[in-house]
Amino acid sequence: MEYAKKPDPVDVVVVGMGASGGTAAKVLCEAGLNVVGLERGPWLRSREHFSGDEVKFLNRTYLWSDPRVNPRTVRTDENETAVPTPFSMVPQMVGGGTVHWAGWLPRPRPSDFMMRSLHGDIEGASLADWPITYDDLEPYLSKVEWAFGCAGLDGADAHEPYRSTPYPTPPVPPTPAAKRFYEACKKLGINAMPIPQALVSQPYRGRTPSNWTSFWNGYGDPSGMRSSTLDTFVPEALATGNLDLRSECYVREVTVRPDGRARGVVYIDALGREVEQDAKLVLLCLGAVESARLMLMSRSRQFPDGLANGSGQVGRNATFHEYLFAVGLFNDEQPLYGFPGNYISGGSFQFYETDYDRGHIGGALIGASHVGQPVNWNFPGRPAWGSAAKDADRDFYNHAMKIGHTLHDLPVASNRVDLDPDVKDAWGLPAARITHKAHPNDIALAKWQVDKNVEILEAAGAWKTIPVYLERGRASGNTCHQHGTVRMGTDPANTVLNEWCQAHDVDNLYVLDGAAFPTATGVNPTLTIMANAWRCADYIAQTHAKGRRERLPQARRGPQQVAAS
Amino acid sequence: MTSMADWPTVLAPVDPDAVDRLFFTDHEWDTIEAATARIIPTDHDPGAREAHVVRFIDRFLSGIDYVYAAADGSGFLRMSGKLADAWRGRIADMQETYRRGVRELDAIARQSFGPDFVSLSDDQQDIILERISGAPKPAPVARDADGASPTVQVYAFDDGLSFFDALVAHTRQGFYGDPVYGGNRGRVGWTVIGFPGPESLKDTMDGTYSLRDYYLRDHDWSELIPQLRQTGGAAT
Repeated sequence: MEYAKKPDPVDVVVVGMGASGGTAAKVLCEAGLNVVGLERGPWLRSREHFSGDEVKFLNRTYLWSDPRVNPRTVRTDENETAVPTPFSMVPQMVGGGTVHWAGWLPRPRPSDFMMRSLHGDIEGASLADWPITYDDLEPYLSKVEWAFGCAGLDGADAHEPYRSTPYPTPPVPPTPAAKRFYEACKKLGINAMPIPQALVSQPYRGRTPSNWTSFWNGYGDPSGMRSSTLDTFVPEALATGNLDLRSECYVREVTVRPDGRARGVVYIDALGREVEQDAKLVLLCLGAVESARLMLMSRSRQFPDGLANGSGQVGRNATFHEYLFAVGLFNDEQPLYGFPGNYISGGSFQFYETDYDRGHIGGALIGASHVGQPVNWNFPGRPAWGSAAKDADRDFYNHAMKIGHTLHDLPVASNRVDLDPDVKDAWGLPAARITHKAHPNDIALAKWQVDKNVEILEAAGAWKTIPVYLERGRASGNTCHQHGTVRMGTDPANTVLNEWCQAHDVDNLYVLDGAAFPTATGVNPTLTIMANAWRCADYIAQTHAKGRRERLPQARRGPQQVAAS
Repeated sequence: MTSMADWPTVLAPVDPDAVDRLFFTDHEWDTIEAATARIIPTDHDPGAREAHVVRFIDRFLSGIDYVYAAADGSGFLRMSGKLADAWRGRIADMQETYRRGVRELDAIARQSFGPDFVSLSDDQQDIILERISGAPKPAPVARDADGASPTVQVYAFDDGLSFFDALVAHTRQGFYGDPVYGGNRGRVGWTVIGFPGPESLKDTMDGTYSLRDYYLRDHDWSELIPQLRQTGGAAT
């Protein structure tokens, strides 16, 4: 192994330059700290590298993480052998999951932070309250919405929690399919609204929206209309002069000093040389699977089971928000046009909160979405070949609609990410192994919600509806959402991080991505991840870096909190 | 090792009239062309044959030169590094899958009807495809619910596909993918399915290609969302 000259130590090293890493870099650099950002993937240039090429972006691994380079193995049970499977293959590059995403940007709800206080210990699950409340996070949700760029319709969501600010831009216009969804919801008395989305629908801070191509969900956006840390927070952090962003640098270990505090990281650079980068603070922003994997690979005398893993929880309690849905096929004259739009339009929080009469806890944000481009548009049972396949394309491609939701799956201690004993990645390091078995509540919740999707499609006039439940018994990783593997909490015995996402066992280590989530929430996690990263980065810059400590008073949460908000 | 962000653009879009083979032998080319014509047959509309889908597959299997078109479609990205290694392995496996697949088509054809696959009638070829797919030819979409199915996987990657599944996936990609890859000749695929695709990849980058007219123009949010009348929300 070749070695490069050791670079000078810095204030902070941020590992992973996606949603949380980009946010942390912006906040810390703008506060004057000098930061090294390490991203194992490439640093692409939106206007030069992104366009409407379906085969390249959806069927090949230009953005998706390539399973031959970053393999993962998956199993349902701990005594099975995990099988190499593409699982949650979020793009590994500067901008991370915010490069290819459709950009669902809904806010979490107050109840998401108190699932255990509200529902007690659900058998077979490891429910936990968050050490913070919605009110602690709300100012940062607003900061992200306004600094990052968001579109939504004020006053449309009857179930909206408190907002200290309106939406920065209005929603994009609805598509014919969306109009059909709104009409069906009106007929059923369901409050529908445009799902808040990470895009600017009108000129905003130098960005002019011009991507009406429908090549949206799964593609990079060349126009800057869609919000991505690649185009917003990373350039803003660079503009301070305090960020040294090194792409194609793969961190394989967080090193530890004799006193057990973090020393820095060791990474393999683009030329295959090993480099040591020391820092006063180490921030992990790799995403829940990779942050846990890096901690488990960072074994030492002080941490034989992995960095800061005194509680043994690193990698456990993993949740993955399976995307489940129903497809409606229509045969009336008026085409719905399955392709235009920015993937999502109408949605509803009507069925988001728990209703014990349903026999399970939790609910879902439902969203109507378009069916995508010709190669990959699909519905289960679609004829695969022959004239029946060609007819299905001609008859239904422009007469179809999907209504789906990301499943608020429950954390379970045995659902975990650890290191595969056999399979290695392209750098010779152990691949992440995912063990996941759906909790009975997940299966019941998924069935109830998909049946509700079918009901709405029928009210919209669907000739045929096709439900997709959680059949396989485990998550497939089809949303790229990942959470819970490095839990926040107040008790170091069963959590890894405190309320500032600072490791209990290593006080100069923070984990700021979805790994910190005690529970998955029922909404797309990126806005919550970025708001939480901003909140913790503020604490780092204003308190920790100034040699002080501060604890959030813990006694002020509980069920009464929900009633009040 | 060049960073992925700096992979150069080389070659050119596949010529819509090109007939040369880069991977398949003549016999393989004719056999795969016949097979794709059963996956997406010709009827009152063009099918896989007219869209030159076999050429799309031939270019894809020729190595790693035709995996990624440049964003503006002016050529193809020359890969290097770990992703290039991954693709060399993937294409090598897929080449083997197709060579074995053609042999298998011919073996079953001779066993069942005597001549090679390419010499059979359409109906006979369908029977052979049913055999290797292990399932009857799909029936048209029927109204009666045929039960729920496992979720549709987002990543339709090539690794581990059987010959039949690869043939179906690549025929669909060749018929509906961007013409620079050698299929969808004259954009016939998009005409068949009713998708107003772009004139060029470049047009999808600079705002020239726009489906703005497919969005509603005259919508009134408070008409669509009764809640707005209560809260007096903005109706822009």
